[in-house]
Amino acid sequence: MVAIHKTPKSGAMRHQIVLAVGAFAILAGAMGLAHAAGEIRVGFSQDAQTLDPGNHRNRETETIIRNLCDGILTRDPAMKVVPELAESIRQIDATTWEIKIRDGLKSHAGHPFTASDIKFNLDRLTKENALGGKTSPRQSLLGPLADSEVIDARTVRLKLSAPWAILPAMLPFQEMISEAHAKKVGDAALATSVDCVGPYKLVEWRRGDSVIMARDPGYYGGATAIPPVGPAKPDRVIFKIIPENSSRVAALLAGEVDIINELPPSAIKQVEASDRAQVMAVNGTRTFFVALNLAKKPFDDLRVRKALNHAVDRNLIIERILAGKATALNGVMSPDAFAFNDQLPAYAYDPALARKLLAEAGYPNGIELTIDTIGAFKSTAEAVAALLARSNIRAKVQVWEGAVLSPMWASAEKRAERDAYFNSWGNGALDPSDIMVPTLRTKGRGNFAGFSNARVDTLLDAAETEADQAKRAAMYKEAQAIVNAEAPWIFLWLPQDLYGVSKRLKGWRPSADARINLHDASVD
Amino acid sequence: MRFGKVVERFIGLIPVLLGVSVIVFLMITLTPGDPVQIMLGDARSSPEQEAALRRDMGLDRPIHERFILFIANALRGEFGLSFFHRRPVIEVIGERLPATIELTLVALILALAIAIPLGVIAAVKRNSWLDRLSTVGSLFGVSLPGFWFGILLILLFSVKLGWFPVSGRIGFSAEVRAVTGLLLIDTLLAGRLDSFWQALRHISLPALTLALPMAAVLTRVTRSSMIEVLRTDYVLFAEAKGLRKARVIGLHALKNALIPTVTVAALETGSLLGGNMIVETVFGWPGLGRLVVEAIFSRNYPLVQAAVLLYAVTYVLLNFFADILYTWLNPKVRL
Repeated sequence: MVAIHKTPKSGAMRHQIVLAVGAFAILAGAMGLAHAAGEIRVGFSQDAQTLDPGNHRNRETETIIRNLCDGILTRDPAMKVVPELAESIRQIDATTWEIKIRDGLKSHAGHPFTASDIKFNLDRLTKENALGGKTSPRQSLLGPLADSEVIDARTVRLKLSAPWAILPAMLPFQEMISEAHAKKVGDAALATSVDCVGPYKLVEWRRGDSVIMARDPGYYGGATAIPPVGPAKPDRVIFKIIPENSSRVAALLAGEVDIINELPPSAIKQVEASDRAQVMAVNGTRTFFVALNLAKKPFDDLRVRKALNHAVDRNLIIERILAGKATALNGVMSPDAFAFNDQLPAYAYDPALARKLLAEAGYPNGIELTIDTIGAFKSTAEAVAALLARSNIRAKVQVWEGAVLSPMWASAEKRAERDAYFNSWGNGALDPSDIMVPTLRTKGRGNFAGFSNARVDTLLDAAETEADQAKRAAMYKEAQAIVNAEAPWIFLWLPQDLYGVSKRLKGWRPSADARINLHDASVD
Repeated sequence: MRFGKVVERFIGLIPVLLGVSVIVFLMITLTPGDPVQIMLGDARSSPEQEAALRRDMGLDRPIHERFILFIANALRGEFGLSFFHRRPVIEVIGERLPATIELTLVALILALAIAIPLGVIAAVKRNSWLDRLSTVGSLFGVSLPGFWFGILLILLFSVKLGWFPVSGRIGFSAEVRAVTGLLLIDTLLAGRLDSFWQALRHISLPALTLALPMAAVLTRVTRSSMIEVLRTDYVLFAEAKGLRKARVIGLHALKNALIPTVTVAALETGSLLGGNMIVETVFGWPGLGRLVVEAIFSRNYPLVQAAVLLYAVTYVLLNFFADILYTWLNPKVRL
């Protein structure tokens, strides 16, 4: 290229190249960057796996679908369960619930939506082989729901095979589709073809790239408990798939998107320094902990487990690594969850006490352990390991692939030689049943510590079927206190979910269940 | 190339594909990890519900049965349902393939447009400062981590200057009927120049990110090969005959010098068609690379198996086409 400078002819060529590049760039800049008024764009980390709400098991997929299709129930910004398509829900007896749905509901395509549609959806979700010969992967989210019966056009009765107190907390996870549409197009086509009652209708799903939706002007208005009620304000909503964190942040700063999810803590300052965007945070639903292998020495000794808890300065890690965007926990539950026990004693950071406890347990020279974790948690796990060293606990971190690690720790035989597992567990229902049963009940599928306590099991089982919410709460609080005292984990924190949000966006706040519902949002 | 040779090459494809199938099936199946547990995530579920999912995925059968079933289905062109998309894998791959092909082709054209002139100039002006500059440039290009370079381009051209979009293939207002699946072509076929510009603008940064390292390699290969050819008798003879130097280089020497370039370009194109996960992720490009890497992490066996078979076919076919190109570039080459 430099040789080109030598001749006048080459100089002209260079001039032409510069002109061409400049013209291309100007033209490029002029086209397409314009962000249509009345259009909200979300820079989202993952594409939907399918648009069939009954045929996936993925939170991001649900977030996208939720803007297309409403559920029987939903959650308000304070995470309280409120009716959405339903007008009311009531428990008739221990195993029967009755749902009355709103009058005059119509799908995007104009199909009336009645009690029969609700039964159709619940059957799809719960019956064996109901999805074109396959069973819905969401079946287990509806627990013992066995059948439903249409009483009249607006009333449907749900039959459970056993009492299940958290049914109302689990129903917001299910979005309903139009029975007429589903029968017309067939199960397979529902992966890409949507008709349901919801604020936005599907315009186009560009696989791997974006989901484009347009306002349904005939929308009934959404949950009455969540004002404003009425059709959505923006003309269009677009979920733009940008998997890479830095690129998502760049898209926000460039004004290409209005909301980004999973804002990395390291980008907080960058977003806050911009004129265009701000950071919004909300308590998440994911509890972080280090599960200790209780079947292995020295972790079978309560004094060692307590020492480990006293040896970690959680607040320091939250402040330095998590940019202050997390809440330290003394147990398993989020402070926002039902039956959160706020009276649990804290394990104060105290290396001297930790060393003393270890000495009492017969380890005056400290202990050694390996903490297993996945790549995404490496830095925080290493920070925990570094802090343990101050209490004479020599810890090293071993990083594994997630798909390998969880099955290994789920099996008592496979984890026999392992020490500790730095892990997290989500609780989207914000109910102890959703997190304590899998992680702390004997042989729960996420009980990586191998914790087994007869009283905790009894309390968890009883709370599952207890209809009186005050009694349920008391049971869970007692169970949390036992877990806190037994310390099967090093209790860590509950991170906040971080979002980058354009300053032109109004009427939207992040929600603890990680949904991005855009019904009430608008743009300047 | 003779017709018999073509048939022979195609027959040779069968054992390759069979071998690849066996290796891929065994590797992905024997790798620890359970798609059912991955799908269920944190939620509670009963052993019966897990068993139902396992049955639906066909994972309740013994491994030899699954392998026989996989081969029998593959022979019929069926690769089953993607575990997580719950749709036929062929459909899921088919949706993503055009984006990868388009990005690869544009990157290839860009790389060749940079590499061939630069390699030729470096060879002709051997050991000059220009040659050294191209060597340093090539080294720089090869060493560029795609992730880092892509982010830099985004920060400069998208965030600072606002010239190019951060991600995607085309603007949201564009409606393009898919004919080839390649948006640059489909927009022109539809006579939508505005959409064509949008597509061009979207592909510019990811294509440049992919093209620069490829151009760096191809520049070095073209240079070395050109230097060798320039030393041959027939080039000396052509010069001695008094032909213009540009004609000797462009017409006589370049054609032969391009044979190694074609080989390397075919290999590079093969690996790009396999999808470039990093560049596709950075630019939110909805291609195959991202899809397959996600499938590997989630142990989505059917999708991985089908995609790897596709890669194998692509590689073999590209090398096959490279062979055909050799015979055109140098008729003395007989395959």
